[in-house]
Amino acid sequence: MDLHDSEDRLQLFPEENTRMRKEVVQAEMANESRGAGDGKAQRDLQEEVDELVHLYGLEDDHELRDEFVDENMPRTGVSEYPPYVMKRRDPAREQRDWRPRGETVEAEDLGFGGWGSAGQCQDLREAYRYTHGRASEEYECYVIPEEEDEEEAADVFCVTCKTPIRAFQKVFDEHKEHEVIPLNEALESAKDEIHKNMYKLEKQIIQMENFANHLEEVFITVEENFGKQEQNFESHYNEILETLAQKYEEKIQALGEKKKEKLEALYGQLVSCGENLDTCKELMETIEEMCHEEKVDFIKDAVAMADRLGKFLKAKTDVEISAQPEFEDQTLDFSDVEQLMGSINTIPAPSAPVINPQAPNSATGSSVRVCWSLYSDDTVESYQLSYRPVQDSSPGKDQAEFTVTVKETYCSVTNLVPNTQYEFWVTAHNRAGPSPSSEHAVYMTAPSPPIIKTKEIRSCEEAVLICWESGNLNPVDSYTVELTQAESPEASGVTESVVGIPTCESLVQLQPGRSYIICVRALNMGGPSVRSEPATVHTIGSYFRLNKDTCHPWLIISEDGLTVVRSERRIPARELSSSDSRFTRCVAVMGNLIPVRGHHYWEVEVDEHLDYTVGVAFEDVTKQEDLGANCLSWCMRHTFASSRHRYEFLHNRTTPDIRITVPPKKIGILLDYENSKLSFFNVDLSQHLYTFSCQLHEFVHPCFSLETPGCLKVHNGISMPKHVTFY
Amino acid sequence: MALKQISSNKCFGGLQKVFEHDSVELNCKMKFAVYLPPKAETEKCPALYWLSGLTCTEQNFISKSGYHQAASEHGLVVIAPDTSPRGCNIKGEDESWDFGTGAGFYVDATEDLWKTNYRMYSYVTEELPQLINANFPVDPQRMSVFGHSMGGHGALICALKNPGKYKSVSAFAPICNPVLCPWGKKAFSGYLGTDQSKWKAYDATYLVKSYPGSQLDILIDQGKDDQFLLDGQLLPDNFIAACTEKKIPVVFRLQEGYDHSYYFIATFITDHIRHHAKYLNA
Repeated sequence: MDLHDSEDRLQLFPEENTRMRKEVVQAEMANESRGAGDGKAQRDLQEEVDELVHLYGLEDDHELRDEFVDENMPRTGVSEYPPYVMKRRDPAREQRDWRPRGETVEAEDLGFGGWGSAGQCQDLREAYRYTHGRASEEYECYVIPEEEDEEEAADVFCVTCKTPIRAFQKVFDEHKEHEVIPLNEALESAKDEIHKNMYKLEKQIIQMENFANHLEEVFITVEENFGKQEQNFESHYNEILETLAQKYEEKIQALGEKKKEKLEALYGQLVSCGENLDTCKELMETIEEMCHEEKVDFIKDAVAMADRLGKFLKAKTDVEISAQPEFEDQTLDFSDVEQLMGSINTIPAPSAPVINPQAPNSATGSSVRVCWSLYSDDTVESYQLSYRPVQDSSPGKDQAEFTVTVKETYCSVTNLVPNTQYEFWVTAHNRAGPSPSSEHAVYMTAPSPPIIKTKEIRSCEEAVLICWESGNLNPVDSYTVELTQAESPEASGVTESVVGIPTCESLVQLQPGRSYIICVRALNMGGPSVRSEPATVHTIGSYFRLNKDTCHPWLIISEDGLTVVRSERRIPARELSSSDSRFTRCVAVMGNLIPVRGHHYWEVEVDEHLDYTVGVAFEDVTKQEDLGANCLSWCMRHTFASSRHRYEFLHNRTTPDIRITVPPKKIGILLDYENSKLSFFNVDLSQHLYTFSCQLHEFVHPCFSLETPGCLKVHNGISMPKHVTFY
Repeated sequence: MALKQISSNKCFGGLQKVFEHDSVELNCKMKFAVYLPPKAETEKCPALYWLSGLTCTEQNFISKSGYHQAASEHGLVVIAPDTSPRGCNIKGEDESWDFGTGAGFYVDATEDLWKTNYRMYSYVTEELPQLINANFPVDPQRMSVFGHSMGGHGALICALKNPGKYKSVSAFAPICNPVLCPWGKKAFSGYLGTDQSKWKAYDATYLVKSYPGSQLDILIDQGKDDQFLLDGQLLPDNFIAACTEKKIPVVFRLQEGYDHSYYFIATFITDHIRHHAKYLNA
């Protein structure tokens, strides 16, 4: 960066210099103070400055620049000026002639004009002088010759003196022996130097800031810890004092008792002594009296007296002091106090943990994840989690309680019963002992998966009706049905879910012509169960099974629900119990068709020689009548008699007159809710037999009856053959 | 052969036309009606031939039966020829309504006077289809035939005598057993002479008994109140019995309250067209 290319600029310097000095005195800040004449120079300088700024990335380094702006330093001693500011100035300076020229300095400062005050410039110069250890006189002297040699710029750098010099100066004595390198190189290396230091500076700033923060934290912690210790000590201390006071009381009381004892004993002794004395005295007096008596009386009394005396004196007089005046040395048992004193530094037992409520979906059928927290800084070595199944209303039976010890603030408790509520509570333990127990929280295990009743699945091209067993003894909150399309197993995961199903059945919309895998989950507050065993549904044609509940007693339904057989044997009529769902008069059975409007197609395999009736009927068709005998059913009836096949299409007991020359072996039945039609076909010949127009205000079910022994076989899941589509 | 368009009317998006041409088989000018459904504008359609009954021309069917909607929907070209040669100046051709003009009986006559012109069987089974195939957007492989009364008889015998030629056949109140009914006896003796063996060749009931061919699916509607049924002219039972015997699939519907008229035809024409469409559009 050649800052000295412009000769005019250089020429301007002296003028500016003088002006500058004036302004320095005035300590003005702004560019504008320099007057209009400076304008051009100013601008040039500004450009230079911009280049400088750009080179050193100063524009990005607002911080430091701002420091320059803000430091509107007064013209005081150099010592107040922070050296580090100087360092930033250095790079710029190095580009100029290294001889400290006032004008250079000022020019530069002018250039940085917007954010450098005149006063600052002066100070900078002085500071520069200071750091470079030059005498001001020296400085001044250099200045003067400068003015003559304005035109020639420094172009080399004396490494030894660390100063820029002009080439010819090398020849001078001073620099003759010194190492000299081109100014540009010097520039570069100086720049690098500065950069490195800048970088280090930044790091240090960060480090110190962090350290300051850390110190603050520690400061706070010290306060906290003090608080804790204070509290701890206070409580311990109080405890000790109480204990001592208590002991004192006890001891005093004991002493008091002892005293009382002694005194009472002594008193007793005194009393008996007194008595003794009295007796002695009395005896003495009596004896004295005796001595004054007549001989005869004296002898009498003397004998008696001798007796008495003898007896009296025989009685041992207890002259032992029963109670010693001394009190025993009290052994003061301060062991517990000692213990307390000793435990003053031990950690207190922790405070009660807080047990969390159950996180949603965190339970499985056999486990729950219990979490708790400790809202204090107590030291805890372990936690003890206890649990038992939630009691029912029967209070007498105490459920078994289990305990687990863990170090973490969570625990996965396993081996639990599905769909069951458990009470959990936890205590924290350390060397000092256990904390009080937390509140009791109720967690619930997820339910067991339901079991889909695969045999009862009904479907058609647009929907499926699934029902299942709950799989749980107790009620669950709801069920979720999950569907995946079977053709795209790589698209892992569920494609559709139906949630919030309250009962054990669900009607789900599907796309035609696909295969689906369906699972059901049960849901309670603990979360969902695992998936049930899957069931597969094909949305091709309609699927239904014969309904055993509607079956006439003479009919037997096969295991797969698709074949009905009437055997030769008959149960006598009186054994037939009447019920709403079973056919009684008509030996028939109904199928369970999915209650979805649309098209349904199925086929029935029949025997040519069999008398049968096939068709549809409303759910509540009278079971006491024949199929087709009322307006709640439409059907095709075949009767084979005298080698002739007779076909009737019955509804409300009426039939059109239809003759069919080739008896069908497989009858296709199309139920069309939208067009209110029921059609029959000879499947093998693709022959249309007959179509009913029927008003189907409610859902109907397929119905089948056998008028003679034989069997009918239903075929499901057939998509409508093309010929049928014409109808 | 040059076709002269006599009329053209738009109907249900398609066109009902009547043409006239010089028939080779019949040696006279013959008219026929042809309905072109909308689909015929862009592609070849199957052809369904309607054979009318006694006294009819090419007009009765196209004006009274109401078949256009179904034909349009199913995209079928429907051709309805006249029932006999006209203007041939044969002696006795106009004497009765059930013999001669308007009563061709769809046979190739062998008796003198009639044998030159009265070759309706060949006309319907050969000449007309060729004409239609050459001049209209029809698929020559997909052809069916149906008719009423005498035309029903014609349809049945055409199908039975040409196994595989027709994809399907149906009839309204057909004369099923002409050999045994007055109409048949009169017509056959006039056209074919007294050799009854020749008659059987044009009797559906007899033809069925020796029908060897591919599966047919026959739909027959018969008005229960049809006077001619009661008069023993139609004899469907014989036909049904024969079909049952030979396991020819027939669905025969005896329609309560209906007679022999075009009102009866109009009621069930849609079912018949659908029946044919099932096979023609398969």
